[in-house]
Amino acid sequence: MTTTEDTKGSQETRRGSYIYGIVPAGVRIPDGLDPIPYGDQDGELGLVTEGRLAAVVSDVAADRALGTRRDLMAHEAVLNAIAQDTPVLPMRFGAVVTDDDAVAEELLAPHQDYFVRALEQLEGHLEFRLRGDYDQDAVLGRILEADPRIQQMREKIAGVDEDASYYDRIRLGEAISQAMDKLREEDAQACVDALAKFAVATEVKEVGGENGAVHLAFLVRTDHRSDFERAVDDLGDSWSGRVELRLIGPTAAFDFLPEFDAPDEAQA
Amino acid sequence: MQKDPQGGLAEVLDLILDKGLVIDAFVKVSLVGIEILTIDARIVVASVDTYLRFAEATNRLDLHAKGGKDLSEVVGGMTEGATEGGAKGKTKGMLDAGKEKWDEVRGERQNRREKA
Repeated sequence: MTTTEDTKGSQETRRGSYIYGIVPAGVRIPDGLDPIPYGDQDGELGLVTEGRLAAVVSDVAADRALGTRRDLMAHEAVLNAIAQDTPVLPMRFGAVVTDDDAVAEELLAPHQDYFVRALEQLEGHLEFRLRGDYDQDAVLGRILEADPRIQQMREKIAGVDEDASYYDRIRLGEAISQAMDKLREEDAQACVDALAKFAVATEVKEVGGENGAVHLAFLVRTDHRSDFERAVDDLGDSWSGRVELRLIGPTAAFDFLPEFDAPDEAQA
Repeated sequence: MQKDPQGGLAEVLDLILDKGLVIDAFVKVSLVGIEILTIDARIVVASVDTYLRFAEATNRLDLHAKGGKDLSEVVGGMTEGATEGGAKGKTKGMLDAGKEKWDEVRGERQNRREKA
């Protein structure tokens, strides 16, 4: 029970400080960013500075649930805009503390060393994500061509009544699904082979969706960005018609945050 | 090749719900346990429906239009289903792992809510 809050805000709505991420103190954040709405009204972005660090915050009404499309997109858009020219440590969506004093005294001050070190490591780096989807007809054609067993299964259901071929259809679909998984592994490896040399870190991620082909994250040095993007373009050209690639970013470095060891509770 | 500075909602969800610094690891006293709306159906679990859709799409596929070989020429005498068992186990395992991870994420959020 948070009794202090109850007495303070009996009439007005409880407010909280929503934290987007942490930046080095003294950096300018871009103008014109839309923060997460306070409640019904628009919120306003601010910085809470403590020592060598600053947290990017806005007020939110603590009695409303977070997670509308607008909330989620705002969290991401604010962080990505900042990440274009400033290292930023993104918070996971939904970080709210009681007020700005708590941001300074409980978040920034006690963990100063870790945050400063992490920001130094990210300085001069950008995260990119590469996603690709299969052109379904192209990939099915390729799978069929490569696997006589699947061709045979296809023959078996051709012209057969849907109910009568139900289990054969499932078997065929399952075999195709497995062949696609294998293709995904190969294609992810091809991405690593083509692109990892332009990145300081590479992560192969779980692919979502039925036709999802590849999903990778890369941490790229700012001065290697154009080489990296050129290599992605080349890969996209060579996969044209088979895999539709999308390059997302640069984004805040969500996937490459330095490990955080449990805080030294010196003050506890 | 498409370039996209931010990505759509799906990309955003994938990033900001699973990634980033977790406030609970740093702040204990002044945490505001705000309710986070649950977002369902983020992980597409391969299922019978998926299999049936693949089968249908494959059945419809016009191989000649794509310049493929005539199937009757390439289908020889094949032995059936030799590799099915092992591969099936692997696929299932991966999907279960995905679901477990999602449940974990949901679990965390549930805990956070109780702290309010």
